[in-house]
Amino acid sequence: MNPRFLMLEVTRAVRSTRYLIFTVVLPAVMFLLFLNLYGGQGGSFPNGLPVRTSLMMNMALFGVLSGPLAVGARIAVERGSGWQRQLRLTPLSGTGYLLTKGALGMLVALPAVVLVSFIGGVFEGVELEPLQWLALEGTLWLAALPFVLLGIVVGLVSSPDGMQAVTGGVSMVFGLLGGIWIPADVAPGWLRGVMEVLPVYWVKELAQAPLVPGVNVPMALLVVGAWVAGLGLVAARRFRAQA
Amino acid sequence: MTEATAVRTGAAVAISGLHKGFGEVRAVDGVDLLISPGEVVALLGPNGAGKSTTVDMMLGLTRPDRGSVSIFGRAPRAAVSAGVIGAMPQSGSLLEDATVAETVGLIAALHRAPLPVATALERAGVADLADRRCTRLSGGQKQRVRFALALVSDPDLLVLDEPTVAMDVETRREFWRSMREYTSGGRTVLFATHYLEEAEEYADRVVLMRSGRVVADGSVAQVRAAVSGRTLRAVVPGVRRSVVAGLPGVRGAETRGEQVSLTCSDSDAALRALLAAFPDAHDIEISALGLEDAFLALTGEDA
Repeated sequence: MNPRFLMLEVTRAVRSTRYLIFTVVLPAVMFLLFLNLYGGQGGSFPNGLPVRTSLMMNMALFGVLSGPLAVGARIAVERGSGWQRQLRLTPLSGTGYLLTKGALGMLVALPAVVLVSFIGGVFEGVELEPLQWLALEGTLWLAALPFVLLGIVVGLVSSPDGMQAVTGGVSMVFGLLGGIWIPADVAPGWLRGVMEVLPVYWVKELAQAPLVPGVNVPMALLVVGAWVAGLGLVAARRFRAQA
Repeated sequence: MTEATAVRTGAAVAISGLHKGFGEVRAVDGVDLLISPGEVVALLGPNGAGKSTTVDMMLGLTRPDRGSVSIFGRAPRAAVSAGVIGAMPQSGSLLEDATVAETVGLIAALHRAPLPVATALERAGVADLADRRCTRLSGGQKQRVRFALALVSDPDLLVLDEPTVAMDVETRREFWRSMREYTSGGRTVLFATHYLEEAEEYADRVVLMRSGRVVADGSVAQVRAAVSGRTLRAVVPGVRRSVVAGLPGVRGAETRGEQVSLTCSDSDAALRALLAAFPDAHDIEISALGLEDAFLALTGEDA
């Protein structure tokens, strides 16, 4: 992987106001908003997780989902614009290109996690042990992996024109049905069934494993792993078909 | 190693039996082309002649159905990786949210032995645009930045697909001036164009393509000589094509009933011989054939 390439990609992402608003600012704003609506009284879910901690995790996951999706969608734009052709006239391999986009996806997922946790820990009274914080941050960040791959698949599959609609639809399905906007504990039975197929739900389970009892960690790893493997396979096949 | 393979290995570009089809369309239909190091070659032809497809196969962007391309003895992709070949493909583009210097800097960083970015910018005449975002460039400026991208790997062979297409007259002149500087160092250049005057002025050699094939190939002087003939038209009762085609000074002949159209290298000799052989010939007309007409004659569809 070429560090200069990754650097420029990061610079471009930071320059994009849309990225900053949707993946850094919006999760933090939504966190504060939801906290005022539901979390003010300091209630807890049946498993003992405080509502505010749960909201903090959900909004961090919102950033972890939307950042990598935005990065991946750019692949579709670069495919259409001819920039990829320009890159194909350099020693950069197609795999190198995708790996860089993947690394970029992991990096852009990070600010939302850090910012939302910072607000939670410093201003909103989320109290965790240092080790729990570390485990939570690490898990939330690593949770970006399936969404980075999802973004790459979206970028490889959709046309430059259809990219916006596809990204919107995908973040809708994964965010809403995945349980970012509705807590799984209050979801009706059928919705819960859908949630338990999607990676967001299990990623959250993994993230709260250090905080509450009764998380089925092997099952969570299995489902998330299956998504990573499946999306990785689709990305690889699609990419080979286009090369 | 035979002499032929020795020539091919030393060649800047060696293309043989190249074919590429898209569905029913045979975009490139059997192209052979040998370019020696140091040559500046213009690839001419109307839209759809197969120029861009040929160029794409030289750059490894498109895989040929049949035939082979070698660039300084390497496969196209290997030549690209080694930075031996630099190119401005027709449908390439720039990043909208990066500056000129960042974009050229990135392409330089991806290559193994690039020129300093400042040098590439200067050679392409865009040093003053270094900090400009690529969205804020005019069409001609964009082309020159893409020229800088092609130069920055310090390639031995430059391939340019219609490089001056978005440029006004002044910018075009400036572009070719920087191009001249580049080729004076003995570099090889292949450029596709449909501006005849560019080919005449800047190329040592002209390759004309039509319907996926090479229809004429020679020095600018040769091609001009080949096409600077005249056309002789006449009505000739009892004419036979084989007879008029064999007359002195005649290069090509077409007959339609009694109507005869002769492409002549020496129209005076042809006329004398025609009148001697066919005293009844009448409605004789002789017209000059300009480079433009010749180009159309060589590359246009048969009437």
